[in-house]
Amino acid sequence: MSTSSLRSFEYLEGLPGTTFNRLYKQPSTALAIFRRMLPHLAKSFVMALLYISRPMPVTDLEAWVRPDGRLERDNAIDLLERLHILTATTKPGKPRAYTLTNPFAASLRLALTGGGTHKSFGVPSNISDDDHITIPELDEFARRQWEGVLGYMVGSTGIDLANNGVELSPGVQHLLKQGGLVETRGRRVEITQDGFAFILQEVNAQVWTMLILYLQNAEALNMDEVDVLSFLFTLGSLELGLPYSKANLTPTQSQMLLDLGDFGIIHQTTPTSSHFHPTRLATTLTSDSNGLRSSSLASSSDTTKGGFIVIETNYRIYAYTSSTLQIAILQLFTRLITRYPNMVAGKITRESIRRAVSMGITSDQIISYLTTHAHPQMLKKQPILPATVVDQIRLWQLEGDRMKATPGYLFKDFNTQGDFEGLCRYAEEIGVLVWKSEGQRKFFVTRHEQVAAYLRNQARRG
Amino acid sequence: MNAVDGSDHYTKTSDEPPPSLLTIILDTNPHAWALLSPTLPLSAAIANLLVFVNAHLAFNNANRVAIIASHTQRAEFLYPLPAQETSSHTNGSAPQNGFDNDVEMADDGEPTVPPLSDDANHYRPFRLIQTTLLTALTTLLKTTPPSSLTPTTSIAGALTLALTYINKTTLSLSTTTSSTAPNADTTLAAETAPPALNPRILILSVSGDLAHQYIPIMNTIFACQRLSIPIDIAKIAGDTVFLQQASDATRGTYIKLDHPRGLLQYLMMGFLPDQTNRKYLVPPTAVGVDFRAACFCHRKVVDVGFVCSICLSIFCSPPEGAICLTCGTHLQLGEYGGKPVVVARKKKKRKNVEDGKGKDAT
Repeated sequence: MSTSSLRSFEYLEGLPGTTFNRLYKQPSTALAIFRRMLPHLAKSFVMALLYISRPMPVTDLEAWVRPDGRLERDNAIDLLERLHILTATTKPGKPRAYTLTNPFAASLRLALTGGGTHKSFGVPSNISDDDHITIPELDEFARRQWEGVLGYMVGSTGIDLANNGVELSPGVQHLLKQGGLVETRGRRVEITQDGFAFILQEVNAQVWTMLILYLQNAEALNMDEVDVLSFLFTLGSLELGLPYSKANLTPTQSQMLLDLGDFGIIHQTTPTSSHFHPTRLATTLTSDSNGLRSSSLASSSDTTKGGFIVIETNYRIYAYTSSTLQIAILQLFTRLITRYPNMVAGKITRESIRRAVSMGITSDQIISYLTTHAHPQMLKKQPILPATVVDQIRLWQLEGDRMKATPGYLFKDFNTQGDFEGLCRYAEEIGVLVWKSEGQRKFFVTRHEQVAAYLRNQARRG
Repeated sequence: MNAVDGSDHYTKTSDEPPPSLLTIILDTNPHAWALLSPTLPLSAAIANLLVFVNAHLAFNNANRVAIIASHTQRAEFLYPLPAQETSSHTNGSAPQNGFDNDVEMADDGEPTVPPLSDDANHYRPFRLIQTTLLTALTTLLKTTPPSSLTPTTSIAGALTLALTYINKTTLSLSTTTSSTAPNADTTLAAETAPPALNPRILILSVSGDLAHQYIPIMNTIFACQRLSIPIDIAKIAGDTVFLQQASDATRGTYIKLDHPRGLLQYLMMGFLPDQTNRKYLVPPTAVGVDFRAACFCHRKVVDVGFVCSICLSIFCSPPEGAICLTCGTHLQLGEYGGKPVVVARKKKKRKNVEDGKGKDAT
C-alpha cells in the first residue's frame, strides 16, 4: 500500500456506512477500492472469502496466517472493517465468523465475472477517425494542463517560469485556495506549507489530493458525493486512447467532465461533443505508483521515462530534465550550478536546505521527492538514496525545529498497572504507540480503533 | 522514540510488493476431461479459471498473466497469442512437426486481438482475456485430429514455454524500469535490485502418466528452482509422481482437489496469494511427497534402481553390456547377477558399496 493517497483513505474512512453501501453498488467502484485502497494481505482475505457461502470462523482465518504475520493480519482486518468490507458476525451457538458485506461482495463478483446492467465500466463510443486523438496527444494535453496547475503554485515563489500558455480557470484557482494549497496576500498568490507538500508528491498522489479537494468542494456545489466518487472510480477503469460516450452520464457527471478537463484528467474536443477521452492521469487513478513510474507523465521530458535524479554521496545532484517546472521545484531545496541542454547539476547545501525549511518544506518531503524521482540507476541500490545525504538533510532540518507534533489519542486513568501494561504492550505491537509513561499510567497512540477494540474484547472476556 | 538526534538511518525502500506474473498451464487432454465431465466439465473449469485470472489481475494494475495449453502432443499459448508472423514458427517447436499446417490455418483467420463488442458491464482487460482465451481454446480443440488422442499431455513442453515467457517478460520489464543491458546476467541483477516481477507457474493437471517425459520435466523443475519460480500444482484428477516433486523442489503449493467441483475456492484460497503474501500465510501443501524417479531406459517409475556412477542416470535394470546408455561409460557391475536370486537385496547393496566403482543401488 502506498503512502501517497493516505489523504484519500482518511477521507473515505470518514464517510458514513450508508454512503459506502451506495458506493459499493457500482462494480467499478468495488474493484477500484479493492485494487487501490487495500493492503496486499487484505486482498488475499477478500478473495478467499468472496466465493465462500458460509461465514468463515475467526479462528480459521487466524490459523491461516503465520504467527509472525499477526501484525499484518490485524492491520488488514482493521482496515477492511473500517471500509465496511468485512464484518464479524456472532450468531448464538456459533463461533464469531467473518463475512464480506453484501453490496461489496456482490459488486466485486460482478466485476470479476462481467454481466449485469450497471454500465459502470464506461460506454465506448464509435467515432470517425478524424476525431480520433492519439495517445501522445493525450499525454501532451494532460502534461500541459497539470504542469499549468503546478506552475501556478510554484510560480508564486518568485521563481520565474516560462509561460507555457496555460491559463488556469477560475474554478481551479478557487479550488487551490479552498484546499489551503495557496493563499492570497493582497494581489499576490503565495504557496502554503500544504502546497509544498502537494508539489513534492508523485503525480498520482497529487491527482488524488486534488480530486479529494474537489469532492469536498462538490457538496457546496450541490453535487452528490457518491455520484462524484463512483464516476472517479469509473474513470480509473477506462482504457487510454479510447473515446467514451457521454450518453449515460448523470447531470452531475457531465458537469464534472468540464472541471476535470481543466486538470487534464479527461480531454474533450469541445464541451458539447458527444464523447470524451480519458488521459493517462485518469486511467492510472487506480494503479499503484509502480505502474506509473514507467509512464511518461512521471517526468515531463519526453525522452526520459520515470525518475531522472542522481545524487552522489558528496551531495552533488544531477537531474536529467529540461523542464522548467522540474528545475524550479529542484531549486526549492538545492543550489543549482550548471545547466546543460538536457541536464542540470547542483549541490545540496546547508543553506539550500535551511531555505527550504524556512519556506515550510520538511526534510521528509524532500527525501520522498528525491526517492520518487530517483534515476533508474539509483533505484537499483538499496537504500535508494545515499544514507549520508539523507541523514544530513534531516540533521539540517533538526537544527531549526526541536518539536514534532503527532495527532493522536491519549489513554489514561487505568485502574491497575496490569491493565495499563497489557494495553500498552498491545499498542506497541501493532505499531501505533508514540509515547508512554509508566508512572502516570498514560500513553499516546496515533490510532485508537484497534486499541479500543482490544479493550472491548478484554472487557467481554473478563 | 529517539528520533530527535537523527541517529536512526532513514531507509526508504519501495514498500509496495512487485507485480506478479502468473503463468497458468492448463492440461487440455480431451481424454481426461471427458472422464471428468460428470463432476467438473471443461467449460465449468474454464469459467472458474477466468474468475481466478481476473482476481489475479484485480490485485494490481501491473499484474500479468499467461495461459498455456498443454495438449496431447504439443503445447500452445492460449493467452497472450503469439504475434501473427511468428506464430507458425513458435508452434513449429512443438514435438509433432506434422501439425504445423493445422496451427497456421487456425491462426490465419484470427487477428491477434479479437474485436470486442461494446460492453460497458465488463472491465475491458478482463473481457479481452476472456475473448482471447475462449477463441484460442476452441481453435485448439477443433484442430486436434482424432489420431493424436493419447492419454498423455505435454507438460514438459508447456513448462518450457512458460519459462521462456517468464524470462522474456522479466527481461523486458527490467529494461524499461531500470536500463539494464539486455545481455546482463539476470540472476546477478536480481540480487542487487528488488525484483521487478514475481513470476510463478500454476499447473492445472488432469492426466497422469508423465513417466516418458521424466528428463525434460526434471530439467525444467531445476531451472525453476534456480530462478526461484515456484510451481503450484492443482491436481484435479490423475496421479503423477513428478509434479509433487516439482512443487516441493520449487517451494510451490501442491493441492490434490478432493472435490473438483469446488475448483474456484481452491484456486482463490490456495493459489491466489503471491510470493509477498505467502510469507504471511500457512501454505495448504500436503506433507508427504513422493520422491520416486523414472528410469532412463524404459521410463518406468522405480523405487529402487541402478545409478550410473559417472552421470547419475537411473536404470531399472543393469543396461546391456554394462554400458551406460547416457554417457557410454563401461560400468563394472561387480558380482551383480552372478549370484542366484535367493541372495538378499541388502547384501547386494553392501557388496556394491564395497566394490566402489560398481553400481550403487538407490
